Amino acid sequence: MSALKVKVTAVEQVAEQIKHFTMVAEDGSPLPYFSGGSHVVVSMDIDGRTHRNAYSLMGPTNDNSAYQIAVRKQEKSRGGSVFMHEKVEPGTLLEISMPTNLFSIHRLAKKHILVAGGIGITPFLSQITDLNRLGHDYELHYAYRSAEHAAFRKEIEALCGDKAFFYPENETGRLNITELLSKQPLGSHVYVCGPDPMVNGLELIASELGWPETSVHSEKFLAPATGAPFTVSLLQSNTEVVVPGDLSMLEAMEEAGIDAPYLCRGGACGRCEVEVVECDGDLVHHDEYLSDAERVAANKILPCVSRANCSRMVINL
Amino acid sequence: MEKGYSITTKPIYGTLIWQKKATHHVVVVGGEGGGKALLKLFQQMVPKQPVSVFYLAEDDASKKYVSTVEDMSGESITVCDSLEALTTSLKTELTNCYMGTQFYVAGEEKLIWPVAKVLTEYGVDDRNIFKEQTGSLARRVFCVHCETINEDVHHNIHQCVNCGLNLFVRDHFSRHWGAYMGFMVDGETPGEIPPAQEVYP
Repeated sequence: MSALKVKVTAVEQVAEQIKHFTMVAEDGSPLPYFSGGSHVVVSMDIDGRTHRNAYSLMGPTNDNSAYQIAVRKQEKSRGGSVFMHEKVEPGTLLEISMPTNLFSIHRLAKKHILVAGGIGITPFLSQITDLNRLGHDYELHYAYRSAEHAAFRKEIEALCGDKAFFYPENETGRLNITELLSKQPLGSHVYVCGPDPMVNGLELIASELGWPETSVHSEKFLAPATGAPFTVSLLQSNTEVVVPGDLSMLEAMEEAGIDAPYLCRGGACGRCEVEVVECDGDLVHHDEYLSDAERVAANKILPCVSRANCSRMVINL
Repeated sequence: MEKGYSITTKPIYGTLIWQKKATHHVVVVGGEGGGKALLKLFQQMVPKQPVSVFYLAEDDASKKYVSTVEDMSGESITVCDSLEALTTSLKTELTNCYMGTQFYVAGEEKLIWPVAKVLTEYGVDDRNIFKEQTGSLARRVFCVHCETINEDVHHNIHQCVNCGLNLFVRDHFSRHWGAYMGFMVDGETPGEIPPAQEVYP
């Protein structure tokens, strides 16, 4: 994987548990341009172990001098968000992947409805700069717990003007998604990024209302699930790797020096998909990528987020 | 024709069935065949959600199901006597439609595709336009040499109304033109024109 070497130039606490990081290329050269909704995977050295987390680039998309990301310190962190919050400061050198976009706007849409929950606001910040530049019709609906959690509200007000709507849960209650999706003009596309219940709830409501699947876009960055340890036998590499309970299959293979493919590390893109040749237990899928039929067939797995309740699995890698 | 061979662009039509997940249904039918498809649709059920029906009836024979359907469904039908009038009414309706509206079209291809084109212009995804072909199998054919649309083509070899070339009517279909592609049949050996067969009655 081609990587970019960057240097953190600013760290700012922007809301309860949320820090905003600005990074530039270590050698001062311009960074690659990216499209709204892109993310990068940040590699972190945590106690000699390489940990990789995906974070959305916040834009603006016409600025290639610096990248901006925001990180929420997760209560159940596996180390990544705590590392970003506690170890990263101005001057820290990091390695990040090239930007990848799995959450871009649909350019033929007549109207874009952006729905963010909490830290899920980050991909929309770059999408908005694209939408403003293109002059497309859009609305941004931003829900958060309370005023202290409203990261980037001022920036959003400046960028979106009267196209932005704010829903502090402790004041206005939950955003009513049924109401929001009931009266949208033909050709609308909806995009959602936020906590699981919000994303799943919106997808269900949209489907019940008759929205076509192709008009509903979502992004969840799933943290790999923990579970019981098991052994993976790699057919092509002719080696065995023990996956501990607190590492993903992908991470365990990387630690063992296997150059396994990956892209989003969040169960969304399917790049890391690998054939399961044999498994003496059950596959436990946590991804958003495989179809129901593929799950039933039980011969594929996305090692970035999924694992198994088994003692031994053989994969074609 | 080679067994198992088909062209992915060729439209495959189904039977109209109400979509359960919907906030509104818009049905457009044309001719006697379209009228029958409309009857069959309401014989499935009268949906709970609002229904808007547009009926293209260019002659009296086509109109015969209008009152039957109105009595059966309790819905009033907008009857239009030309495709142009129908398109105008439909466009007015579309400005009041929201996401969650399901669209159904039944008739000959010369109705289905102009209607689909209007719907697409208003942002409706083609996968959400349910189509049933009724009546004549006549094709609209696009001459790839002079870019003329030939209407009501019944034969597999057709002489272009504009440039006069003898065209082989392919299954390759353009959703943009709403027509099948017609290629010069005697390009290799000028003058060698196979006999035409009426395959689109």
